[in-house]
Amino acid sequence: MLLLVALGCKNQTNSNQPKKIAIVVSTLNNPWFVFLAQTAAAKAKSLGYQTRIFDSQNNTALETDHFENAIASGYKAILFNPTDANGSVVNVNKAKAAGVPVFCMDREVNAANAATSQILSDSYSGSVDVGKYFVQTLHKKGKYVELLGLVSDNNTWNRSKGFHSVVDNYPDLKMLAQQSADFDQNKAMEVTESILQAYPDIDAVFCGNDAMALGAYQALVSAGKADKVKVFGFDGAADVVQSIKDGKITATGMQFPQVMAQTAAVYADEYFKGKRNFPKKIPVSVELVTAKNVHNYIAFGKKN
Amino acid sequence: MNKKLKYGLWLVVILFIAYNSVYFKKLDSIKASDGDSFNSKAYAQKYLDTILPSIIGKAIPIDRLLADLQTSPQKTFDTYSNALDIGSIRFFWVKGRGKITDMDDTYIYLVTDSAHATIKIASEYIFGNAVRDASGLIHINDFASTTDLNNISAEVNKIIRRQILPPFKAKAKKGDEVGFSGAMELNSSHLNTDDAEITPVSLKLVP
Repeated sequence: MLLLVALGCKNQTNSNQPKKIAIVVSTLNNPWFVFLAQTAAAKAKSLGYQTRIFDSQNNTALETDHFENAIASGYKAILFNPTDANGSVVNVNKAKAAGVPVFCMDREVNAANAATSQILSDSYSGSVDVGKYFVQTLHKKGKYVELLGLVSDNNTWNRSKGFHSVVDNYPDLKMLAQQSADFDQNKAMEVTESILQAYPDIDAVFCGNDAMALGAYQALVSAGKADKVKVFGFDGAADVVQSIKDGKITATGMQFPQVMAQTAAVYADEYFKGKRNFPKKIPVSVELVTAKNVHNYIAFGKKN
Repeated sequence: MNKKLKYGLWLVVILFIAYNSVYFKKLDSIKASDGDSFNSKAYAQKYLDTILPSIIGKAIPIDRLLADLQTSPQKTFDTYSNALDIGSIRFFWVKGRGKITDMDDTYIYLVTDSAHATIKIASEYIFGNAVRDASGLIHINDFASTTDLNNISAEVNKIIRRQILPPFKAKAKKGDEVGFSGAMELNSSHLNTDDAEITPVSLKLVP
């Protein structure tokens, strides 16, 4: 009770201070999410808000601590990149109950009315484009493996389903293995090494993100198969954009974290100004990057 | 003997229970079964059979679109393109007439009647959201889940691949005159009409 009174007094004394926006991200151990978090913070600051970035380290318990901390510390909105589509729902609901709007970025939570709005990459459609290019590049036949991301993340399945919605129409394309590497480069390298021992004669690897594509490529280099096996990623990370230029990786789906982060910050600003009718979900288009058009792109976006 | 029979029966019962207690399914097949309540197949058929033909008048003639993109690209995108996603990928609902100059495994190549522009109509890789989005009639907030929207595209494309293209490809040949309507995808940030392709919704040989 005393704590609540003290917090209330603190809020009153700080009423002239700019509102605070928390940016809670699944991990800062991946450049993609660092860029997402920093862009959201920069946009919120440019709109006149104080910001702080919280790193959940892919741990929903830590994410819960961040939410409780943010709510208790007087943060008025949360720009959120969830750790787990199901496990993060409780945190969003906690913020909602406290009157703190949550705007999801890139990853969604599996609850229709928990977040104020969810701004998400259209992973399914992006993977349809990657899948179409995959079929064209392999001339409709060959053996391949798929590396999945975190199985608890919707993006993992949206990418896999989008890819298979195209590739499974071609019976001469055979998937020999489908394993999770948790969106992690080192794990992808280990998984690919193991797969190559069981299936040394593959033609392609489809990866649910670029970190795994880089890991798979490293394993193929070690096995002396990098020139023969085509690697496909998803994200638009700097190393993969360069690898496509160098002819090492065949293609990726370019996401636009800047668009998602800035849209989330603008939505929070509009919320504070009274707007309430936000779309529950806003998909952000993903663009196919290949050797033919890579000159138009840079890491996590396109050249102006 | 009785003991052996008893143990044997127990073994059969235990094996039966064990066998029926554990099921192995692929992870993606479990996920694929999510959200089946919306009948995307019926919706897609209705969309292609009745909804799109009823707004054929709103399709922009392909020759006019290509000319307008040359002179005022931004205004053309603002006026005629649609998309459910935010971003640079936009879709146009187009129509036109032209003569077949070539056909291969992937495309039907046409030269349009009025402006003599070379265009290509996709005949193999019918995937993506072009037909779903180009009309501007489908809105994201009208659907409970993104899975429903993804399934609309998948079903629409399947109908085009199975019902619209095969009979046309069976009888069309070089030199034939074709009337068409369909959807064209373009990137507003990096406009490239040379590689653009039309996903057909209607293909008719014109006598």
